[in-house]
Amino acid sequence: MTTVEQRTGLVGQGVDRVDGPLKVTGAARYPNDFSYPDLAYAALVRSTVAAGRISRLDTAAALASPGVLAVITHQNAPRLERAPDSGLTAPPPPLQDDRITFHGQYVAVVVADSAEEATAAARRVEAEYEPAEPILDMGDPRAEWITDPWGTDSSRGDLKGALASAEVRFEATYTTAANSNSPMGLFSTVAVWDGDDLTIHDSTQWPSYLRKAIAQVFSLPEGNVRVLCPYVGGAFGAGLRAWPHIMLAALAARTVGRPVKLVLTRPEMFTGVGHRTASEQCVKLGATRDGRLVALAHESTTPLQIEGTQFEPCTAGSASAYACPNVITRDRQVRLNIPWCNFMRAPGEAQGNFALESAMDELAYELGMDPLELRLRNYSEDNPRLELPWSSKSLRECYEVGAERFGWSRRSPEPGSMRDGDSLIGYGVAGVSFFWYQEPCEARATLRKDGTAVVRSAVTDIGTGTYTVMTQLSAECLGLDMAHVTFELGDSDLPAGAAAGGSGLTAAVGSAVQAACRNLVRAFLDTVRDDPTSPLQGCTIDEVSVGGGRIHRIDAPESGEAYADILAAHGIGELSADGSSTPNDPKVAGMAPSGAFAARFVEVRVDPDLGLMQVARVVSVVDAGRILNEKTATSQIMGGTVGGIGMAMLEEIVTDPGTGRVANATFGDYLIPVNADIPDMEVAFVGRPDRFNSVGVKGVGEIGLVGIGAAIANAVHHATGRRVRSLPITIEQLF
Amino acid sequence: MREFEYVRAGEVGQAVAMVTADPETSYLAGGTTQLDLMKDGVLAPDRLVDITRLPLGGVTRDGDVLRVGALASMEELAADPTVAERLPFLREALLMGASPQLRNMATIGGNLLQRTRCRYFRDPAVSACNKRRRGTGCAAVQEVARMHAILGASEHCIALHPSDMAVALVALDAVVHLLGAGGSRSVPIREFYLLPGDTPDVENVLRHGELITAVEVPLLPPGARSTYLKVRDRASYEFALTSAAVALRIDGGVIGEARVAMGGVGTVPWRATTTEQMLEGSPPSPEVFAAAAELAITDPYVVPGTAFKVELAKRTVARALRTAATQGGPR
Ligand SMILES: Cc1cc2nc3c(=O)[nH]c(=O)nc-3n(C[C@H](O)[C@H](O)[C@H](O)COP(=O)(O)OP(=O)(O)OC[C@H]3O[C@@H](n4cnc5c(N)ncnc54)[C@H](O)[C@@H]3O)c2cc1C
Ligand code: SF4
Repeated sequence: MTTVEQRTGLVGQGVDRVDGPLKVTGAARYPNDFSYPDLAYAALVRSTVAAGRISRLDTAAALASPGVLAVITHQNAPRLERAPDSGLTAPPPPLQDDRITFHGQYVAVVVADSAEEATAAARRVEAEYEPAEPILDMGDPRAEWITDPWGTDSSRGDLKGALASAEVRFEATYTTAANSNSPMGLFSTVAVWDGDDLTIHDSTQWPSYLRKAIAQVFSLPEGNVRVLCPYVGGAFGAGLRAWPHIMLAALAARTVGRPVKLVLTRPEMFTGVGHRTASEQCVKLGATRDGRLVALAHESTTPLQIEGTQFEPCTAGSASAYACPNVITRDRQVRLNIPWCNFMRAPGEAQGNFALESAMDELAYELGMDPLELRLRNYSEDNPRLELPWSSKSLRECYEVGAERFGWSRRSPEPGSMRDGDSLIGYGVAGVSFFWYQEPCEARATLRKDGTAVVRSAVTDIGTGTYTVMTQLSAECLGLDMAHVTFELGDSDLPAGAAAGGSGLTAAVGSAVQAACRNLVRAFLDTVRDDPTSPLQGCTIDEVSVGGGRIHRIDAPESGEAYADILAAHGIGELSADGSSTPNDPKVAGMAPSGAFAARFVEVRVDPDLGLMQVARVVSVVDAGRILNEKTATSQIMGGTVGGIGMAMLEEIVTDPGTGRVANATFGDYLIPVNADIPDMEVAFVGRPDRFNSVGVKGVGEIGLVGIGAAIANAVHHATGRRVRSLPITIEQLF
Repeated sequence: MREFEYVRAGEVGQAVAMVTADPETSYLAGGTTQLDLMKDGVLAPDRLVDITRLPLGGVTRDGDVLRVGALASMEELAADPTVAERLPFLREALLMGASPQLRNMATIGGNLLQRTRCRYFRDPAVSACNKRRRGTGCAAVQEVARMHAILGASEHCIALHPSDMAVALVALDAVVHLLGAGGSRSVPIREFYLLPGDTPDVENVLRHGELITAVEVPLLPPGARSTYLKVRDRASYEFALTSAAVALRIDGGVIGEARVAMGGVGTVPWRATTTEQMLEGSPPSPEVFAAAAELAITDPYVVPGTAFKVELAKRTVARALRTAATQGGPR
């Protein structure tokens, strides 16, 4: 049977998004677009201290407010169970006690006939606190430290000895600011009870998990809960947990006996759905004079909320980024009274890469070597941590193609030596080795009597293009036109889907879709196995191929039968088959699973008098294995690049040192790039299909953000001679 | 947002009477400041009197003076040919403000009265804010301030006046025309804004109910060179960290007249008079500009987050002077 390995037909082509017309005409329904007769609205009340207890809650004025149906607080909320872990601890169910662990924690939910009435009444809830001194600084001696939180720390060789005897040593500390996911789409939940059945429209990236979580919180059988999220207005990782506000919407709906809609406000998006942690990282490098790494140590400390976990390995990538015999990587977390930390596009990698790739640049200057050459000289042909060959790695090609397209050879090595009027020009490069991740996933493919197919999995498309690439893949696997295939997702009643996270969804759902389609073709062959009138009688799956809406024999392509004809001939309405995928085992496969690799080249222009910096060009060359859709993949890299520019130049969650309040929880105060900040972005893909999954893909969702911070900082140094070791790089640091 | 009454005023006198009579009634123009603050719970008037249908629009030229109706929009003023020809730095200041959508809604009167972006002022969950409630303290001085003032500031309040347009108008000695229940009056813009002192809630000389009807702007002399330089974190759609509005008349190799005002640094739009004095009569050289810019900031009140503005503001003024002298000529 033909598979995508032969790279024919649809897969790879930059076809338009199948959901594009729906989105631009406003017909795509996002969670907050859903309405019900008798819909009520919820608004939240948040704590104004970061630690302590609620000493008094007066809800009388709120209850007396026009249109108010209920005010729920810890004093009257029913007991809720804790949601199951998702790999990470779930946030505790809300309103269960009077304890406050961060500024912005929910202390009440107000339900009213209209959103405006709910909001007005929420302001009338009077809360008083018995505040405790919050722990807000990683240097606070009261803070709890967690070492090696996920067992990812690594050590090989003799770091100490190698550092001590290295011909060249380098050491520096780098910091990155906390960032907010803040997707455009405000997170929204519409909760509808029908007896003990609960339907939830939500901005989740993981309906299969959210269903399980909500069911457990409300002590319901899982089958009673249905989570719908056909369209999500962006998430960047924020939709990977079962957040308390989702539970509050469901609780509110049950309390008032009406469907309830809860749309977070922008400020609530900064405290209620997680954020990228700040980081403080130390990198030590030892090298020979000719630029061979002999020692590499990378240690990171990141803040963590008071309870629960977060997976944010800033240093893990450094263990396999370069061929170096003596390595130590260590991560630590420090519990603070801050809002929940969570995944944000390229968790850990975004911060860790900034430190490592800045340090490599600094070492290159110490050695008087081209920073690109230093990276190539320490290229890891095999995964040095697992001591296995990579399942695919074309990073060298990324560097080479990138350098060529960017014009790296035009760089004059001396910092401050390239100028244009008032502007200093700088070139910077960074390499990226992204982690690999994959979850189990299921899919079902169905062929209908009209010859069209529908393929389903309970995954999400958070804007990344899953609808489109899975339609392409399904069409190819079944030999149908794209127009004859529909891909359905965003519904927890569909076959259990993987999370849209860790850049692992396409491999997971793609492999499941492939399996389902293959099984479906098998089912058709089974149907005709004993049919003497069928040219496919007795054929095995390996003897056939698909195309033009039919299955045909490989040895005699004219001998075949259309799906629709088989169904008609056998009086079958439709035929379905399931498929599933589980991640490969590196040891069994005998290879180290590769994530995507990339080289990022950046030109900046700095006006050193005024500290103004403009990113003038970005060239990104990415090895992401097989590209299913050149257009959507390019968009992912571009979007990630914009996020990277934001992280590098603008984005910083500011916390008031006195109160622990997020001080800039609006888009007026938390700056993200605007069009005028974004240069021409050139994206190219290189490499071969990856060997670790059957589709051959490596995710492209996150890598676009990684490396931009270091490449910009390195370019700033090249432009100005100033080394900035903290992100974001703002005007204060440049003039 | 609390429920409020909305009235669309039919004529000017009626609008003034309605607002004057009730301390809980406010004017509504483009709404880009007023409604934002109401949604955030910072302002909670009982009633809004919408003035946008009143005949207070239009931009007209009378000799060397431009009369700008209070309801002219920022975009409209920026598009005016006289502004392009004789007040180019005002045009630049307008177009570097906000976004096209906002500039189409925002009025000139409203722009002059826009409130500070201080994030402690804008979040009622913060209790210490002398501008919101006199005597409660100033959270910005205690916590993290950056988009704040260093001139005219004190521990009572370091809130910045964020307008770009007003900086150019202060450089131009514009005059604000007011109409109150008791009649009309005109106030030079430099007397219009009040320093916060220990009453930061009082921002200008406007009495409750007084309506801005127009702003009169003297045109720059033909041949004047001007520029507006805005230094900010992102390239568009962001307020100034520092800015400078500069206009120079250079006669025979000597600066005959200098107008210099600064944004991003003052609790009110700030005129740099000492800088102007030094410039006038001097040759337009980079050295003179740098020396004059040094005088632009005296006695700053800084907190850790705003200390960088002292030097940045001087450099902003120096660069603006240089740009005006070399590129800011008549177009
Ligand atoms: C996101 C954003 C970005 C912005 N960026 C910038 C920027 O970069 N630079 C800049 O300069 N500005 C900026 N602004 C501010 C914007 O210019 C002002 O909000 C706008 O000019 C106010 O005009 P308005 O007509 O909308 O006023 P309104 O909001 O209607 O009114 C403002 C105040 O003035 C009163 N008022 C209005 N008209 C009169 C009158 N004729 N007489 C008496 N009282 C009156 C109202 O009662 C109210 O108190 C920005 C605003 C926003 C929301
Ligand atoms: S600076 Fe002024 S507006 Fe800001 S918190 Fe202090 S008193 Fe309030």
